[in-house]
This record gives sequence, C-alpha cells and structure tokens, in this order.
Amino acid sequence: MALGIATAWGASFYQGAGGTYPMVLGLLLTLLGTTVALRALRAQDSIERVLVDAPKKLWTGIAAGVLYIALVVPLGFYTASLLLMLAMPYALGFRRFTYALIVSVIFIAIVYAVFSFLLEKPLPREAVVILLSGGG
Amino acid sequence: MDFYIDALAAVLTLGPLLAMIGATILGVFIGALPGLNPVMAIALLLPLTYSMDPLVALGMVAGIYNGSMYGGAIPSILLRIPGTPASIATTFDGFPMTEKGEASKALKVACWSSAIGGIASAIALMTVGPLLAKVTLLFGPAEYFWIAVFGMASVGVMVGSDPVKGVMSATLGLLIGTMGIDSLSGQARFTFGQTWLLGGLDLIVVLVGLYALPPVLQLAEKSDFKGLSAAALKLQAIPFKSGEIRSFIPTWIRSSGIGIAVGILPGAGGNIAAFLSYNAAKNTARDQDSFGKGNPKGVAAAETGNNADNAASMIPVLALGIPGNVVAALVLSALVIHGLQPGPQLFHQNPVLVGGFMMEMLLTSILIIFLGGALATRVFAQFQRLPGVLLVPSIMILMCVGVYVINGRPIDLWVMFAAGVAGYFLEKVNVPLAPIILGMILGPMAEQSVRRALLISRGDPSELLTRPISATLAIATLLVLIWPIAKSIRKSRAA
Repeated sequence: MALGIATAWGASFYQGAGGTYPMVLGLLLTLLGTTVALRALRAQDSIERVLVDAPKKLWTGIAAGVLYIALVVPLGFYTASLLLMLAMPYALGFRRFTYALIVSVIFIAIVYAVFSFLLEKPLPREAVVILLSGGG
Repeated sequence: MDFYIDALAAVLTLGPLLAMIGATILGVFIGALPGLNPVMAIALLLPLTYSMDPLVALGMVAGIYNGSMYGGAIPSILLRIPGTPASIATTFDGFPMTEKGEASKALKVACWSSAIGGIASAIALMTVGPLLAKVTLLFGPAEYFWIAVFGMASVGVMVGSDPVKGVMSATLGLLIGTMGIDSLSGQARFTFGQTWLLGGLDLIVVLVGLYALPPVLQLAEKSDFKGLSAAALKLQAIPFKSGEIRSFIPTWIRSSGIGIAVGILPGAGGNIAAFLSYNAAKNTARDQDSFGKGNPKGVAAAETGNNADNAASMIPVLALGIPGNVVAALVLSALVIHGLQPGPQLFHQNPVLVGGFMMEMLLTSILIIFLGGALATRVFAQFQRLPGVLLVPSIMILMCVGVYVINGRPIDLWVMFAAGVAGYFLEKVNVPLAPIILGMILGPMAEQSVRRALLISRGDPSELLTRPISATLAIATLLVLIWPIAKSIRKSRAA
C-alpha cells in the first residue's frame, strides 16, 4: 500500500503519458494493497499464522548470503565461495567438517572448470593471488 | 512447413545435440532433487547463454525443462517427496508401487509416459504454433495491449490461491518494468539518480533472485544433515505382465490431450495438467478403487499430463510473445537475450530458429527414453544421499556467478539478493511470484502498445475497444477478472 502511494507520488513529477502510466499503476497497487490489508484486519480473529518455520536458520542463511556478496569483490570469487561452502553449513549446525571440505573442493573445482576455464567468464580476482604476485 | 527440414538439419549438428543431451541429463538430476526446480535451473542457466548460439541455448532450455519434469517423478515414486510441484499427482500411485516393491516398474512407466506426453506436446506446438502466428499478423497496437493485459490478468487470477494478491503481484511487476528510461519520451523514471538504473532492472537478475533464492532459504530452514540412506534408494526389477503396456495407450492419449489443452491456457501449469489427467484416468477406469493403491495407470496419467503441458505452453509465447507460465517467460527472455522478438514476425524472420526450438522440444522428449531409464534413475537417485545443507551454499554460489557474468557489476548481486529475500516473504504471505515476472516482461509491451494506439487514434481511447479482435480480448480480460468475484459471491450465497 505504502509502495503504491510512494510510486504514484513519485510518478506525479514526470511529464505527459510517461508519468500517467506509472501513476495509474501506483494507484492500482494502493487499492489492491488496501483491499488485502482490510481483509487481513477483518480476519484477525482467526488463528495466528507462523510466517517463518525456523527463524534462526533463515536469518543465518540471509546473513551468510549478505556476507558472501560483501566479500566476493574484496576477497575474490573463489576464496569467498570456499569460505561460504565451509562456514554456512557449519553455522546451520552441520559438524562433518571433512565431508563439507571434500564436497566444497569438488564443487569449487567444477565451478572453476566450467566458468573460468571452459566459458572464460571474468570473475572478481582472488586477493590471495594478487598479494602473492606482489600487488596490482 | 519446409522450414522444419532446415531446422532439423540445424538442430542435428554437434553443438545443439550435445546441449540437448547434457541439459536433459542435468534436467533429470535437477528434477530428482527436491528443492530444486526447472524454473530455478533455467533461471540460473540463462545468464550463461548470452555468448552461445541461440539453438544451443534453447536446446539447453528444452532439455532442462523436459528432463526435470520427468526427474520430479523419481523422488515422488521412491520417497513420496515430489521433486517438482508438477509431480505431486505422481506420488498418489508411484509411492504405493514402491511400497509393493515395484519402484523400478513405476519409474519405467513414468519415463515412457513423460516421453510420450512430451512428444505429443511438441507435435501440437509444431502444428498449432505457426497457424496461430498467421492469425496474429492481423494484430495492431490495441490488440497487443489487450493480449498483454489478458495474459497478465489470467496469470494473476489463476496462479496462487488469491486473485487479488495475484493481480497485485502483476501490478508490482508492471511497476518494476517502468524503471529506467521511457523509450517513447526519453524520460528517466524511478532511477533515483543512479546511472545503473537507467536501463531498468535486469530481468534475469530479478528472476534469478525471485525464483532461486526462496527455495534455497527454505533448504536452509530445513537444514537436512543426513541425506538419504542407500537402502531407501534400492531398486528391484519387476517385469510387465503381458498386454500391460498396451493397456496404457488410452491413458497416454487422453492425458496428452488434457496436458496440451492446459499448456496453451495462460496461468495453468504442469501440476494442474497432472491432477486433471489423474482424475480423468481414475474416473474412466473400471477398477477405480485400485487408484491410490499402486495402479501404474495413475503414474502414467500424471506423468503424461505434466509433460504434455511443456511444449504446448510455448505456443502462446512463440506465436504471440505472451508467456503463459514462468518457464515460457524464461524462454521469452532467452529469445530476447539473443536479439529475437517473439511473436508472428519470429516465424517469418527466423523460421529455422523457431522451428529448431520446436524440434529441440521434440528431441529432448525422445531423449528421456534413453537417458531417463531405470539405470540412469539409479545414478540420479544417489545424489539424494548428499546432505541438503550442503546444497544451500552451492546454489547460492551458482546464483551469484550466473548474475555476475551478465554485466560484471557487483550491484546486480545485491539486487538479486534483495529480490530473493522479498520473494521469500511474498511467497510466505501467499503472493505468487510468476505475475511479477510476467508484469516485468509484458509491462513495457503493454505501455508502448497503448501509447502507440492512442497516438494513432490522436488520443481517442475508443480505438482500444472498437476493433473486433481488441473488443473480444477486452471482454475476455473482463471475464477473467470477474470470474473469481462471481465465484466467491456464489460460494458465500451457498454458505
């Protein structure tokens, strides 16, 4: 509902038909959002629903994803990926470290073979390699 | 129809052939792993196809789609865990067959039925698609506007359990589609002063986030540490009785017809096709009581139905440029990535390509017989011994690499992740995600068509309703939107 109002308000600054279309959509979104909100308010007496089954694990997963994306560029793609492969299952409660390490190494090797070797896709450079080669 | 011969020659070259074989195997594997689905796999694959030959890229899409629809039957039969939503109906008789020690037989029936459904569907695509494309040559901007609105309204209303939330989701997609420079006026909309937003949000980036991240987060929530035991995956060969295979023929024909009809309709998917086919098989059977207790015809009906939906769902996307489901939307994206505009002109400008894709849908269906048999199933089933918790970071890494290689921009990773987290919570409150993607794809087409139609008519809005085809489409759209309201009124009166 708030998104719809914000969009319609934002679109009011655009001139001509280029502004009318998003404004109509914003108003429609507001209307639909209000309908859903009103219905939810009316049905409030019903049993409370659990939105997330395992909130701790969900937020662990989200936090690991955020950290991974933040580290991909400074650390390099493969270093950050290896860290994610090892740290994320551990954070979720998986304690078979050797098993995780073997799967991680095999998986990273496959990703390297496909993306860097076969398809030659440019990925964020490895900080370790840059450091070892003396910078730049 | 001559272009099919040229298309077949183009498809039977090394690149497309290897792509089809590899992708069909990958598709079966993806379908066999609960938590992974064809939409996620194709979404992850698309960014990698930018530099590929279009027939190789589309061959991979066809292989993954057909392969995974069969692959979903493997855990449905062995473990009563549907590998994909379309294979829920397969569990009804598939798992009871496993309990009776007939898992190998059930897998064979599923494999052949999937292939037959896929072949029938591809033939329907090859015959109906070009005919429909010819009709659409009569369309102008007003008709295209209504087709886009009709497609979105149907998908918004039919996908998910709540039509209001479905339409809201489509509206959200339409709004996301307005971001960037307006192609008609040159005005920058919702860019917040960011240059990277001038081109709008990349469809594939949003799509990968929306479709791949929510199942990954669900896998993280489940945190399976063990995987499956080898004993749970043991198969025993059981021969067919004499005449048993022949008795499947009526089921295969009926379910193929149902699957094709459902596939053409926007909004309906493989799961609906499988349920309808299963119910039809049960209702027409003499031994109705045996259904749900391990009747192989139940497996045959469900698997034929869900695979017959596949190629048929490509008919509206190739002929009209209107995707009826998310996989069709992904195919549309794949075509757009390669600079091709789906719709009637596609058949005239790129007949070998469009014919080639249809051939690839047919050939990958045939490949299932050779690549998806019981032997391959044994191998694929072994992947289910991998703890689910290790799949979580693996898929996240594939998502990131796929998104990063599109533009080489780290910001895309954040957009993808934000879209994925939003998608997770939207799904939790029963807001379907498919209409968002369709809104993003069809939004610019709808906007440009309506503004062009108004420019042609010098601002007269009646132009949108006075032409016979556009008026028919407008009425059809109205009916689609009114139908759920009428249904709920009737329900409340009955109560």
